[in-house]
Amino acid sequence: MMKAEDIMTRSVVTIRGSATIAEAVQIMKEKKLRGLIVEPRSESDPYGIVTETDIIYQVTAFGHDPKVMRVYEIMVKPCVIVNPELGVEYVARLFAQTRIRRAPVVQGNSLLGIVSVSDILLKSDFVEKPKRLFIEDEIEITREEARAICERQGATSPECAAAWDALEELQAAAADQRRKQPAKNSLQQYCEANPDAQECRIYED
Amino acid sequence: MKAEEIMTKAVVTIRGSATIAEAVGMMKEKGLRALVVEPRNATDPYGMVTETDIVYKVVAFGLDPKAMRVYEIMTKPCVVVNPELGVEYVARLFAQTRIRRAPVIKGSLLGIISVSDILRKGDFVEKPKSNFELYCEENPGAPSARMYDS
Repeated sequence: MMKAEDIMTRSVVTIRGSATIAEAVQIMKEKKLRGLIVEPRSESDPYGIVTETDIIYQVTAFGHDPKVMRVYEIMVKPCVIVNPELGVEYVARLFAQTRIRRAPVVQGNSLLGIVSVSDILLKSDFVEKPKRLFIEDEIEITREEARAICERQGATSPECAAAWDALEELQAAAADQRRKQPAKNSLQQYCEANPDAQECRIYED
Repeated sequence: MKAEEIMTKAVVTIRGSATIAEAVGMMKEKGLRALVVEPRNATDPYGMVTETDIVYKVVAFGLDPKAMRVYEIMTKPCVVVNPELGVEYVARLFAQTRIRRAPVIKGSLLGIISVSDILRKGDFVEKPKSNFELYCEENPGAPSARMYDS
């Protein structure tokens, strides 16, 4: 499973809560960002976030003056933060359940990056390898159902066989999801970098 | 400032029967965050499918984008914006309906307008407009909109 740190955007810009909205807009325009992270004021202070949506919904929509309003008036703080190890599918589920679109990636006290729905869409492998998140739970239920069917219909009935087939298919899918890419040995790594080297010739006999 | 002045004119449409994988492919290729779903006939409304729809409804459940179709997750009918609508009103419409983008339509599909367009191309920082100012702009003859010179 790909992790948040594999797809996050590392160039992240922070802003003080006391900055004006006009300053925030300026930074967003300059750096082409849709969200800025609000710096914690001390070590025990949480991270905050201010996004373009916050600005449009709470400033522009009411015709407030961005040069007078401050970031702390519209920011979300504390905001949801994501652990760099969290799997991409879990990030997507967290976003869906909390109705957010981006979150800072934080480990300990250091800000590593920011992950957004765009990062998930553009950089993750969900099209090539969709992952069912709770497949282990599904397997458990399918197994219980198969046992119940076989008890009811008889161990040699076609319904019983079909139920066990379904379970086998699920288990195969789970095993496939668990399988990690085998690590490349040093010769393979070398050959990838230098495909024309003598050592990397392939004989077709 | 009006919606048509800041909208993105490069807009891509997709059929509701296309797969999610096709939609993702188009979004990646063209660098878009949303696609407009074509009406099926002249009386059919416009629809929209955004990256948020895909992440919230497909990726979050680990569903297969090659097996799912756009019509299963799209918003249709969607909120549409008139090209003459003022940017401040677009912002307020978005805030009240909790949306972030909408197709701009008059007769035909002219473009798409999003919170990013408002932020980057709007003039709300230089010229913030209060309700009163918007009212006076629309009703220059109203007694409350009179200007006294001295």
